[in-house]
Amino acid sequence: MGSGPNSKEALSRFLADIERRAFKMARFASGNADEALDLVQDGMMEFVKRYSDQPQEKWKALFYRVLHSRIIDWHRRSFVRRRVLTWLGRGDAEEDADDRLLNLPDPASPNPYDQAVHQEERMALEKAIRALPLRQRQAFLLRAWEGMNVAQAAFAMGCAEGSVKTHYSRAIHALRGMLEDVRI
Amino acid sequence: MKTPEAEKLFLENVSGLLNEGIQNLDRSIQQRLEHARIEALKSDAQKRAGFFIPLRWTMVGGFATIIAVAAGLFFWLPTSPVVFPAKHIEDLEIITSAEHIDFYQNLDFYLWLATKEDSLKKGKTS
Repeated sequence: MGSGPNSKEALSRFLADIERRAFKMARFASGNADEALDLVQDGMMEFVKRYSDQPQEKWKALFYRVLHSRIIDWHRRSFVRRRVLTWLGRGDAEEDADDRLLNLPDPASPNPYDQAVHQEERMALEKAIRALPLRQRQAFLLRAWEGMNVAQAAFAMGCAEGSVKTHYSRAIHALRGMLEDVRI
Repeated sequence: MKTPEAEKLFLENVSGLLNEGIQNLDRSIQQRLEHARIEALKSDAQKRAGFFIPLRWTMVGGFATIIAVAAGLFFWLPTSPVVFPAKHIEDLEIITSAEHIDFYQNLDFYLWLATKEDSLKKGKTS
């Protein structure tokens, strides 16, 4: 099967190409690196199990459909968990506890100068993206970052194309408002 | 109202900043992503190899054998002879006649009686 159209090499390249952006999207959604990694791993496993035989041009939309389905499930579970913890009188102090560590520049980075220049803008942008409602964030990241068209984003999000347009437009409007004071 | 050019520039900058963010991921996160990818590829290899495992082939072979045997029995075995209840033409007459069954059960007596009557008639005429 190694030389087939959906060979192991092609699948590996696809996953390697997509894994960082997928992690970042899951990270925006969950606010936690460990949860995001679990979401990405689960998404990869399910994608491979169900869709690796599909044509390669469909992989991206299928992968993000799986990932966003996982993220929505995670949101439902965490909502219930937060309600229970609140009811028990325990807050969610551990949420986002690792944010500051992850946003520190990596000393081993090959571009320390670029990091220093853009870190403030990037942190402001990431904070603004994280503040968006889930569906707006999904529509914005899939369209603006992942480069999907409306139909692909609608398939990945499991909603109508009109909803994608609405969420995307609102997301841009909200981001512009939140980043008005930042030079982006 | 922002111009399309301004919006395009904004989106390009946003995309650039996000891309910078993923270039500088923590090393441990990169390792875990790589691990996740390798695990996913392993499961794909298992899925592809799943059809060739012996148990699957045994089941397929067994099923094929059963089908072949059933087909052989159906086509090759001689058809069972039709057991017709009436072996002789007399039996057919018995079945198709409207006589009461008691008549046939005492048929020997009536045949004997008929021969007796015949012999009596011959005696009278001679």
